[in-house]
Amino acid sequence: MITARRLLLLCFGLAVLALLPIGLTPNLVNAVIKMMIAALFALAFALAMGQAGMLSFGHAAYYGLGAFAALHVMRAVELKWFGFPTPLVPLAGAVCGFLFGILFGWFATQRTGVYFSMVTLALAELLFTLAPTWNSLFGGESGVSTMRGASWGFTFGSDIEVYYLTLAWAAFSTWCMWAFTRTPLGRLALALRDNEHRVRFLGFNTHVARTLIFAISCLFTGVAGALLAIANEATNYTIFSTQASANVVLQTFIGGSGTFFGPALGAALMTFFARVTSDLTRSWLLYQGFIFVLVMLFAPDGIGGLINAHARRLKPGGIKRLVVPYLLCLVVGLLLIAGVVFVVESIHVLLSDGHMAKQRAAGGANLPYMLLGREFDPVSAATWAIPATLLIAGGALLPLATRFTRRAWALATQAAAQGDHA
Amino acid sequence: LEYFVVSVLNGTVHGLLLFMVSAGLTLIFGMMGVLNFAHAWFYMLGAYVGYTFTSRLGFWWGLLAAPIVTGFCGILVERYMLRRVHNYGHAHELLLTFGLAFIIEEVIKLFYGDFPVNYQMPAYMRFAAFTLFETNYPFYRLFMGGAALAMFAVLYLLLTRTRIGIIVRAATYRPTTVEALGHNLPVIFMGVFAGGSALAGLAGAIAGAFFPTGPEMAVNFGTLVFVVVVVGGLGSLEGALVASLMIGLFISFAAGLGWSLADLLGLIGLGAWAREAGGLFTLQLATIAASMPFLLMVLVLLIRPAGLMGDRR
Repeated sequence: MITARRLLLLCFGLAVLALLPIGLTPNLVNAVIKMMIAALFALAFALAMGQAGMLSFGHAAYYGLGAFAALHVMRAVELKWFGFPTPLVPLAGAVCGFLFGILFGWFATQRTGVYFSMVTLALAELLFTLAPTWNSLFGGESGVSTMRGASWGFTFGSDIEVYYLTLAWAAFSTWCMWAFTRTPLGRLALALRDNEHRVRFLGFNTHVARTLIFAISCLFTGVAGALLAIANEATNYTIFSTQASANVVLQTFIGGSGTFFGPALGAALMTFFARVTSDLTRSWLLYQGFIFVLVMLFAPDGIGGLINAHARRLKPGGIKRLVVPYLLCLVVGLLLIAGVVFVVESIHVLLSDGHMAKQRAAGGANLPYMLLGREFDPVSAATWAIPATLLIAGGALLPLATRFTRRAWALATQAAAQGDHA
Repeated sequence: LEYFVVSVLNGTVHGLLLFMVSAGLTLIFGMMGVLNFAHAWFYMLGAYVGYTFTSRLGFWWGLLAAPIVTGFCGILVERYMLRRVHNYGHAHELLLTFGLAFIIEEVIKLFYGDFPVNYQMPAYMRFAAFTLFETNYPFYRLFMGGAALAMFAVLYLLLTRTRIGIIVRAATYRPTTVEALGHNLPVIFMGVFAGGSALAGLAGAIAGAFFPTGPEMAVNFGTLVFVVVVVGGLGSLEGALVASLMIGLFISFAAGLGWSLADLLGLIGLGAWAREAGGLFTLQLATIAASMPFLLMVLVLLIRPAGLMGDRR
């Protein structure tokens, strides 16, 4: 049910995205493009996962196929084989994704649950191992590269034009997917997730339905892949890697697969996180792993689930009760994060090849190391007292913060429940 | 003939190694329904633990320490993580182990760097077992195969001939009944998970000394182990053995053959056309050897979804 408030929120979000490039550096514009593509990919993945309960471990296959299809179309235009407007190139990705979605989906959807995941994983691996040896189609190990052609009065030379192209396609695809969840087939997807046997007894051909839903998910995945190809103007076989399939699963679940916009949110946030932290530290994958495991353990419904819980269950003034506990949680969280980061980065510097070599040159003496622009002595107690204090303080405050927050949450929601009855 | 014999030997040993890693996974899955994504990462952890102890104390200490350390990690993971998310279903358990795989890999990279470490077998095991067609066949390969066979025998006897094995197998089929009979089900689960992880760790310590021990060894193995478990039938030890031998032989044979689809079509007179078309038709079997296991898995899942020896449940 679309309410006026939600519509307003949506328009506001779109307006922000439309005006965003004005105030951003080219590097950041590029980052936002990648975030939108990741968000679209995650939404398409969640269409199969969240709606129909099909956990695909090989969605990178359709992402990559969409990207290669787009690149081949763009290359054909460049070689003047035929004309094709650049803004419509994602259609090639969509068609390619849909066709392979039907083909692969036909096999994969014969199985459910873990077996489905395994078949999709195997199909993606098949492409991943085939692509580097199949030169004519996937360009071998170096991949395929091309240029964006000018069309419709745009040159697509700058990132700004690519930005608006991506935004338009992402918004349009998102609207299509949202509309899809309203169609009878979209409703059937939910039924399939909840009780497939019953759907079959009601006379539906569940295999065809599941294949179609999977193929539609692949269609939008192909669009996302094509947009990536347009943004990068190149790709190679690594796009099919398990890593790429894994990323979208991680992002979707961090965002929350049970809500419509959660996956997009998770994907955008995690892409941004990766972009920022991969410049700062080489251990960023470790932090990403920590985030994922913590979300799985303590917020299994993801960020979207948390937001939903707040939007649905809080009574109107309840948020005021939560401000202080949340600030406390924030402080505790920051203390713990600072402690962990200090330890990890110290180990990283101390065990790095450069530091080891220096130490050997100094005859095995313990040399001070640099961290955050300051020098620390690796064997002095004062150095390790810093993370120890941070971790102990955080650890001591953690039970307090949990209890405090839990009580405040109970008060804020209980009141809402009573208000409903009154 | 030389090619044939060498391929059979190498394929068998490779298959037995695969079995060592996948045995633990299939046990864990058969019993708890948890598809442990991090299993191959426990294998890698075992190799690194083995390396650490080998360089300090000696090779056999490494072999002893690896299963203990990985088994202990398994206990922690089961007790404090998997049990928490159990209520949210198997998908969440799978995803949690997925995140764990990330963490294990990155922690190992943090301590040991991005490049392979120099983990070697002891010098007295570095000799040729026998000479075959003027090439020496390393003894250590036979040692790996022997260790895997011994592991299979011990596991099989443990599961079928002892009281512990009976309880474990019963808990696979009727967990609530086993619990009602007074057995501590969570502890059994924890034990199976720890045991499975320990097996992976042991395999890592043994294999790591022969093959390169680096941060990418888990990724290379990770998906292959799944293939073995799915093809063999989830939860079936014998199935895992047959499947790993099959895949080992498959890979070692395919790696040396220059056949292509064009040659196959040549038999029915379409060879010239296929060669002209190029692309998929002229790809040699050797170059796509790595895709073979996945093709096999898709085929098995479509024809016999429960796996070669799995039972439909």
